[in-house]
Amino acid sequence: MADESKQLLNPVSNRRTFLNRLWLGLGLVALVQFIGGSLAFLISGSGKKRSDKPLFIEVGPAADFTPGSVTLIRRGELYLSRLKDGGFLALSRKCTHLGCAIAWDEEQKLFACPCHASTFAENGTVLKTPAPRPLDQHPLVIEKGQVKIDIKTRNRRQSFQPEQLTYAIKKG
Amino acid sequence: MKNSRQKRNIFVHARPQTVPVASLRFRLTWGLGGAAVLMVVIQLVTGILLNFSYEPTAQGAYASVQHVHYDVLLGRLIRNLHHWTGHALVIIVFLHMLRVFFSSAFRGARHLNWVIGLSLFFLILLANFSGYLLPWDQRSYWAVTIATSMLEYLPGIGPFLLELVRGGSEVGASTLHIFHALHSGVLPFLLLFLMLWHFWKIRRAGGLFLEKGGDGDNKLIGTEGETGEKVGQKDGSLRLTARPHLFIREKAAAAVVLAVLFYVAIFFNAHLGAQANPGLTPETVKAPWYFIAVQELLIHLNPIFVLLILAPAVVFFLLFFPVLKSNNRFLRPLFIGLMAGYIILTFTGLCLRGPGMQWIF
Repeated sequence: MADESKQLLNPVSNRRTFLNRLWLGLGLVALVQFIGGSLAFLISGSGKKRSDKPLFIEVGPAADFTPGSVTLIRRGELYLSRLKDGGFLALSRKCTHLGCAIAWDEEQKLFACPCHASTFAENGTVLKTPAPRPLDQHPLVIEKGQVKIDIKTRNRRQSFQPEQLTYAIKKG
Repeated sequence: MKNSRQKRNIFVHARPQTVPVASLRFRLTWGLGGAAVLMVVIQLVTGILLNFSYEPTAQGAYASVQHVHYDVLLGRLIRNLHHWTGHALVIIVFLHMLRVFFSSAFRGARHLNWVIGLSLFFLILLANFSGYLLPWDQRSYWAVTIATSMLEYLPGIGPFLLELVRGGSEVGASTLHIFHALHSGVLPFLLLFLMLWHFWKIRRAGGLFLEKGGDGDNKLIGTEGETGEKVGQKDGSLRLTARPHLFIREKAAAAVVLAVLFYVAIFFNAHLGAQANPGLTPETVKAPWYFIAVQELLIHLNPIFVLLILAPAVVFFLLFFPVLKSNNRFLRPLFIGLMAGYIILTFTGLCLRGPGMQWIF
């Protein structure tokens, strides 16, 4: 009698166990899918937006910027630096240490960060740490004598290279 | 002492019916855990109220905060309460963590609860940080810029994380949306879930941790010379009914906490500086005070060392030191050293650094 009842019970408990495990397994799959989908949504949403495409703005004729001058371009929050040899460099205003907005010191001829006192030369190289690398550079072109800067794109640099400069008249 | 009202009352039912006499001693816990719970409730209530008036856009955020502060009836009080309670919560939970450590209430079956508690602490820090940006004034904008910029130093994954957190390369409208969603949606939900789990684990572990044989005298504060009614004995300790003995103490503690918070909220305004200007960095910019220790470390040490080695080592130690043997002679000095280091670095960054993070002397 006891054996019979056990046999009667077994198929039910086996089925119940199987279904429980199936629910658990499917639930885990659903959870992984939910987490994966949410992450994909969040990561995709934080990526490049339509507004992040290159945006070139005209800042003026090249002749308006004298060699050795540094001009603040408010619209792009950047500095247009024309070195003594005439080469142009568009430098980001963001300090490479922790992102504070740097300011040009006309007297000392350098960029200074108010947050942790990093300083940069007019070509963006680090004069005083804790900034870890030179100021980022914006792409710059000169077309028909007009200086145009891409205010959306910023390129990291590990060092200053002469090839980074853009000249109004190509050096022969 | 059961009655039908007691059975139906959810607040009573959430407590044990009886508690050891020794657990009612104020110096056992200083009421820190309970104060933290009350503060979370205050944050939820004031946060929901503020959310009705807050506009989470770069154009409207600052003006909406000004509107709440100056135009809305009781808006200043609610905003101040939310602000100061948020900061007080970090301190209270930190002290609660210290208390749990020094009373060794993290061992054995309580280890998981220690981990849950630590997670709660980090969530509270995140909640504070995400809320820090919402006023969208100069201080909050640049503090969040600096704090999030630290992510960039992580090799490989840094720039990706930075863009994920900020919703772009700069702190801007996307950052505000993300921080608002975290602050008012995700984090409160996670906090509530972990808090409930935390309470349940405490009940399962038998309530407050008492040293073995530490029932001590059963005199209660305020009842000098009297002994507690002997309701029953459990594990050899005298016990009293939670109602009224525990409840009356909790009400008194809640009244004190509320009085202090309301006093501060009435007489001290939450800071609101000039509206955020991405083109102008103020002379003195510091990370929020609970992260200023990290900013101070970044000045002295290599950022990669701090973020990749030191920070993970500290977190790993905090999570897993309960598995070390209780007689490990390095445990206490190491923990005290860590906490003292955090306090000293925070004090240094807050009080000894001026414009440009230069020494004030």
